[in-house]
Amino acid sequence: MSIVDLQHVRKVYDTKVAVEDLSFSIEPGNMFGLLGPNGSGKTSSIRMMIGITLPDSGSVSLFGQPFRRSVLGRVGYLPEERGLYKKMNVLDQLIFLGSLHGLSTAEARRRSKVWCERLDITEALPKKTEDLSKGMQQKIQFIAALLHEPDLIIMDEPFSGLDPVNASLMMDVLIEMRALGKAVLFSTHRMDQVEKTCDAIALIHRGHLVLSGSMAEVKATYPRNRVQIQFEGDDAFLRHPAVSSARRYPGRAEIVLRPSPTLDDDSQSLLATAIRCARITRFEITQPSLEEIFIEKVQATTPGRNPREIAAEVQTVEVSVDA
Amino acid sequence: MHSLWLIARREYIERVRTRGFIITTVMIPVIMAGFIFGSLFLGSRENVDRHVVVVSSDRQLAQDLQSELQSQQPADGTQTDQNSISLRAAARQPHITVDVMEPARGTRALLDQDLEANEIDGYLWIRPAPTPGGQPTFTYTPRSSSDQLTPQILSAALNRVLLREQLAHQGIVAGQAEALLQPVEISASHESRHHDRASSMVSIGILFFLMYFVIMLYGMNVARSIIEEKTSRIFEVLLAAVRPEEMMAGKIIGVGAVGLTQVGIWLTAILLAAASSGGINIGGEIIRPSLTGPQVGYFFIYFLLGYLFYSAIAAALGAMCNSEQELQQMNIFLMLPLIFCFVALGTLLATPDAVVSRVLALIPPFTPLLMYMRVSIGHPAPWEIALSLALLVASIFGLIWFTSRVYRVGVLMYGKRPNVAELLRWLKYS
Repeated sequence: MSIVDLQHVRKVYDTKVAVEDLSFSIEPGNMFGLLGPNGSGKTSSIRMMIGITLPDSGSVSLFGQPFRRSVLGRVGYLPEERGLYKKMNVLDQLIFLGSLHGLSTAEARRRSKVWCERLDITEALPKKTEDLSKGMQQKIQFIAALLHEPDLIIMDEPFSGLDPVNASLMMDVLIEMRALGKAVLFSTHRMDQVEKTCDAIALIHRGHLVLSGSMAEVKATYPRNRVQIQFEGDDAFLRHPAVSSARRYPGRAEIVLRPSPTLDDDSQSLLATAIRCARITRFEITQPSLEEIFIEKVQATTPGRNPREIAAEVQTVEVSVDA
Repeated sequence: MHSLWLIARREYIERVRTRGFIITTVMIPVIMAGFIFGSLFLGSRENVDRHVVVVSSDRQLAQDLQSELQSQQPADGTQTDQNSISLRAAARQPHITVDVMEPARGTRALLDQDLEANEIDGYLWIRPAPTPGGQPTFTYTPRSSSDQLTPQILSAALNRVLLREQLAHQGIVAGQAEALLQPVEISASHESRHHDRASSMVSIGILFFLMYFVIMLYGMNVARSIIEEKTSRIFEVLLAAVRPEEMMAGKIIGVGAVGLTQVGIWLTAILLAAASSGGINIGGEIIRPSLTGPQVGYFFIYFLLGYLFYSAIAAALGAMCNSEQELQQMNIFLMLPLIFCFVALGTLLATPDAVVSRVLALIPPFTPLLMYMRVSIGHPAPWEIALSLALLVASIFGLIWFTSRVYRVGVLMYGKRPNVAELLRWLKYS
């Protein structure tokens, strides 16, 4: 039984198509990454999953049944735009949000304290929310989403604006939740985060599903045709006949091999050549990164677009958010 | 229902706890009392005693005028209840001291000197009639031209003196002349339906203003609180757990309960103050805030319904706006009908049972304030009260039905107005 199942979902705002014919499902105990640049329809899809908005057509099922509001007690949601009552004291706020999800006041209070200790923000409990730093507010919001022990955890851009230490603290919690058998969905535009942690992904671009499936499946469809070399010396090996294109960096090169049935042999032959030209400190054969796959897929669905343009779309988004 | 209660409770507790609530609860009565006492105080200050000089060669006339002016002594001192909060009444006549002088060389210069030195407030110069039987001429020279009251009093007193003189001239006995000059007094209080008309008018007026003020203030609070949740994006967290209708209803109930608390505090304070002091003395008349049971009952009925009506409109406005600034522009929809009630109040007070008053009081936006006023001072037929309540309740249901849909769509929309087709689709969803 899938925890979340979207079938041919479509949502149009006024004149803008936010989501078009979107289908994917999330299995229990899975970490699911919803990927795409800003404005691609991630938040719209998530809102439809939890009944904040309704799809214009298509169906949404949660926990194996068509969406009903009564299942929302089993869902924890962290919205993209953080929302807390500014003037309210943090503990009262957590108790209020916990009791809205059906916890008793005493239980909500107990769990809030445990969580705050876990995330190292106990000193924030008696303070007003507006007096906290942005990162602390985000942790509070994160706790609020988990307080009622939901079976489905939905986090819209959970790491944006967090420093690496706190981001990995939260990622650890999410990984632990997955180990407890809960389904975790998070959306991000940071492909590298997903590559390491997700069991399954869906890539969307301009409201259309570009790619979906388990991480292993997605990667398996792509040949291991990327070679990363770190070397000292002559780079003449870049003219090896198996090399389709290469990017040269100081002491390093990223190579794409020509499509060929004998890809493994080609890479070994490249290595042999390289050893003759230079001193090799690292030689790694990989599949294309998610980012590369994404760019390639988008290019395939919208022919005529320059890959650099698409890459720029992904890149600028990252830069602007990270800055 | 549980969520609704939680939301209403949060709204209530968070609001009552704020400094703003405590300040408005304390300051508004203080400011209002300040206005009332202040204006009465200023009024009484204006009536400080006067000193005028009458210059006349006709000694008899001057002395008659002197005794006429000095006999008009204020009588309110005897009426003042020792227990009551005594306000120097605005309507009190000033005490006038009159000196009489014969015109002589240098008199005018002397009097002008006295004016300069603040010794006197003015002098009245009476020139005898040039021909026998004609009117003498009167010239009053005041120290300050802003003193409007003294010339009025002088002229009234002169009229009485001259009239009495003429009556005596016609051979009417002094006692009869006095009887003829007695002012006619109309006593309205015994004709009134209520025991103490002035007292109940003041009380009704206070309640009317209270209703107007609280509905406006707390209606705006509902709208502002919705905008606040929109801008802080908290509603998105809430919507993932609660129905929008519950959110809206909880908010209206929570904010309304705060308003009721405040009104309750004020009313209790007024009643306690009145009970302990025995009444408020205004214009020499002791006002005891006295209200009949039905008046209080109707006040709360119309107040609650009025609040529901206007807060539902406010909730819709809040849901449609994206910022406080936008709300400021939409405010007019909330304020206009309330302000209209104030404008219509004059007509209604003058003729509470005229057709125009009766019709206005039945129009739902005006019903809470105007029908309440009619119930308090007029004679609405029972069917009119029933009809006004029915129309108001029906329109509240309609409004809440509409508003909750607008709210549902509005809180998630940025810069986009919901259209009818969309509203219908939202309607089907539950």
